[in-house]
Amino acid sequence: MKKLLGILLTSSLALTACSSGGDDDTTATAGAASCAPSSGPVTLSFTSWIPNIEEVVKVWNAKNPNIQVKVQTGPNGNGGTYQNFFNQLKAGNAPDLGQVEYDALPSFRVQDGLTNLAGCKPVTDAKDQFIDWTWNQVSFGEKDAVYGVPQDSGPMALFYRKDLFEKNNIPVPATWEEYAAAAVKVKAAGGSITNFSQSDINQFAGLAWQAGGHWFSNDGSKWTVNFQDEATTKVANYWQDLVSKKLVSTVPPWTTEWDSAYNKGQAWTWVSAVWGANSISSGAPDTAGKWAVAPMPQWTTGGKVAGNWGGSSTAVFKGSKHPYEASQFAIWLNTSEEALTLLNEKANLYPATKTGGSLAALSKGVDFYGGQKIYDIFAQAATEVTPDFTWGPTMTSTYATASDGFKAAVSGSGTLADALKKAQTSTIDNLKSQSIPVAE
Amino acid sequence: MKSKSAAMAIMGICTLYFLVPIWWLVVGATKSRSDFGNTAPLWFADVSLGQNLGELFRYRDGVFLRWMLNSVLYTGGAALLGTILAAMCGYALAKYRFPGREAIFNVVLGGVLVPATALALPLFLIFSQLNATNTFWSVFLPSLVNPFGVYLARIYATASVPEELLEAARLDGSGEVRTFFTVSTKLMFPALVTIFLFHFVAVWNNFLLPLIMLGNERLFPVTLGLYTWNSQVNQLPELRMLVLTGALVSIVPLVVAFLLLQRFWRSGLGSGAVK
Amino acid sequence: MTRRKPAAAILFFVLPFGLLFIAFYLAPIGYAIKQSLYKVTRTGTFGPAREVFGGLEQYQRVFENGPFWSSIGRVLLFGVVQVPVMLGLALLLALLLDSGLVRGRAFFRLAFFVPYAIPGVIAAIMWGFLYSPNLSPFTAVTKTWDLLSADLVLWAMANVVTWVYVGYNMLIIYSALLAIPQEVYEAATLDGAGPIRTAWSVKIPLVMPAIVLTTVFSIIGTLQLLAEPQVFRTFSSAVSSTYTPNLTVYSTSSIPNFNLAAAFSVVLALATCVLSFAFLKVTQRGADK
Repeated sequence: MKKLLGILLTSSLALTACSSGGDDDTTATAGAASCAPSSGPVTLSFTSWIPNIEEVVKVWNAKNPNIQVKVQTGPNGNGGTYQNFFNQLKAGNAPDLGQVEYDALPSFRVQDGLTNLAGCKPVTDAKDQFIDWTWNQVSFGEKDAVYGVPQDSGPMALFYRKDLFEKNNIPVPATWEEYAAAAVKVKAAGGSITNFSQSDINQFAGLAWQAGGHWFSNDGSKWTVNFQDEATTKVANYWQDLVSKKLVSTVPPWTTEWDSAYNKGQAWTWVSAVWGANSISSGAPDTAGKWAVAPMPQWTTGGKVAGNWGGSSTAVFKGSKHPYEASQFAIWLNTSEEALTLLNEKANLYPATKTGGSLAALSKGVDFYGGQKIYDIFAQAATEVTPDFTWGPTMTSTYATASDGFKAAVSGSGTLADALKKAQTSTIDNLKSQSIPVAE
Repeated sequence: MKSKSAAMAIMGICTLYFLVPIWWLVVGATKSRSDFGNTAPLWFADVSLGQNLGELFRYRDGVFLRWMLNSVLYTGGAALLGTILAAMCGYALAKYRFPGREAIFNVVLGGVLVPATALALPLFLIFSQLNATNTFWSVFLPSLVNPFGVYLARIYATASVPEELLEAARLDGSGEVRTFFTVSTKLMFPALVTIFLFHFVAVWNNFLLPLIMLGNERLFPVTLGLYTWNSQVNQLPELRMLVLTGALVSIVPLVVAFLLLQRFWRSGLGSGAVK
Repeated sequence: MTRRKPAAAILFFVLPFGLLFIAFYLAPIGYAIKQSLYKVTRTGTFGPAREVFGGLEQYQRVFENGPFWSSIGRVLLFGVVQVPVMLGLALLLALLLDSGLVRGRAFFRLAFFVPYAIPGVIAAIMWGFLYSPNLSPFTAVTKTWDLLSADLVLWAMANVVTWVYVGYNMLIIYSALLAIPQEVYEAATLDGAGPIRTAWSVKIPLVMPAIVLTTVFSIIGTLQLLAEPQVFRTFSSAVSSTYTPNLTVYSTSSIPNFNLAAAFSVVLALATCVLSFAFLKVTQRGADK
């Protein structure tokens, strides 16, 4: 009963406190937070949805009795964990560390939810270990700013059914032009060259990223939103053409049906990220040994540009009392060989570090891909990702509108270009409704 | 005779409609992952139910069993206590005249109309003020409140507890509270079972509140746990069979509860609604 | 004889529920209303957010928000079709169970009620499989009609809701039927009424209150649809992030735009209130005639 009365009292307090709380926040953000080591033992909380993350943290805890990390898991970011982070930030009880994907970092930055780690020695010391473009993803290209430690990356390549391509005498496409030509032949042979990811805009983003699209930019005083630059339009029209000609299937991604299209050999290729290797091997077990990986098709013959799909960072949330220790842990988690090996083994994460590609586990041939050393291709691709792609601060709503439009386009009403146009308008509206300055 | 077979035919078709999806779930849960996509969905292939169950119960140190236990505690506990609270309140609203009675009733009834999405975030902020999020209580306490239960209890109390009986009890010198627990609850018992059952199912189904309140996986109810696994299918497709098997296992306790309680709710359910 | 006022007893009965209700219903509602009157301001691209009083600005956004209102239109269409079908079926089954024409009543009662035990999220996942063009056991159906296409997905969802809730509504009506005193029937039989006429002119009017009750709760449930469309989003291209009003609230609050989400929920709750009371008024007027 006592507890209940407490709740009653505070619930009325909460009514007044929560909204007025905003007024004290006017200080902060500019510049890096001070980042001195704490004295005495420290306990850090860490929320992540990486499968089996506890086992990795256990290794750290065994070695660092004075910096114990307590890990909590939940649904994936957009499945609820991000919303929980936002709620916790609003209530002032966010964990010390959290997993945040690159595309969500700017929204947390806009909500003033991240600690700038640029003053934390463990982080600045480790900067050179990370692939440059992943560092851009967490620093937004600003000086003296680091809003998270890059964790994993998703360099893209082409997964294809080696057996079917060989049997039908179709050359493995090295350019997008060849890819479209191959699509026609695959169709004639009774398959689909791939499945166009109608609702997961991240794949499209990776394709636009490769082509040199720039969706967001930020000059310090306002955001610019552009889903209709030349590169993005090119990619949209290219896929619209394949969709209209029914050369690609359009099953919703990540469903059993989608798995089954690959398992039954109806879909022959997938332009996907490194973690896709596991999606195929577990989603289409009957096709073991029949797949191979080639570099992503290029827009110019002989080009060497890759896109990126996915990847996350370990961020330190605002309000953490131990940013120094938190960044120590984050750096260990994302650079040490033992942690990276475990993360790769338990959760198929692909490191964001320069040397990560040469982990023992990533240097071996993979049976499912006919013994090919597929990770060599991804290690190469990781160095070829265009470095200056920036995400915007309201990606969840942008994805929602764009995927609504993409879904409409594949069901025959409107085009991908229309969908992008709509996404642009609604993103601008959304930024405005949150008072985020934006160029019209 | 003709109408009898027509009636049975309708019942038969409806039984198929209601049970075939459940049959499908039962069959699906017995299959291995590759059989699931490749064999007839409504009939057994190689039965690997034991293996699926074993995997389900072993996965991450048996966290699924923990979730089941949590669900039973959250729902059983909240439904039991919540039913008593709702019954007391509904009973008072039915049997006593006091100022503000109708106002209270209307406000409580209005509570039924509020979307759960609107309550969840403010609740989180309130519990945050107390540092009580991510605890058993943060899900349990809000689950106790069931405005619909008060509504039903009021109707049932009006219908099934005669005024004269209460007068008689008063004449015997029995206090109001004692009368409620010894006499009235007995008369209202079938209705209370109904309220309990509806409350139970409502809490069992609710996953938005635990989703927002809980970070610690060991505190999850089974719905949230399965939802979490379902959202990790991208990274670990082998979880899909666990989700399916888990779904089947998770409905077993409810079906058992229905079977055990059915002779009560049969009689209690509609008595009030007629009046 | 004077009856003493049992004030202490009333407090004892009402207070525990009342306090919990205030803490976990009224306080959050008050907070949501308050929040809907605020707006966020900030300076610069990454300037921290500050909440300031914004009056009815969020409500203006709500009223200008096309997708929100079309989602309300969508659930109304859903309700106008699904609620009568579901309750009609529930009524028919209840009458049949009550008619004495059916053997094995205990079995049917349970069989029809089992789907109610399945959480909405899980029921939607199951039906998603059953609708899938390739994996469904009913490929003859799903290959001819794409149940997950823009034209049909609303009704595919209506089927899930019907499947889950028919048994529950049937039970409420059936129990009301059981409570009808035997003498009423005897009078009808004396008049020479057959079973269908008895059902139509005696039973249905008597269980009308139960039907009204289930209708009101179905209307509320329809306006608050969340779990089904949320799950269907993952396998149907036709379900958008603003498909139902409640889904709009959810997506808005995960942006996060708490203030606008709060305004959406206040408007939604009011709309629910207006509709339920309008329905009650209409049925009452009908009964008075």
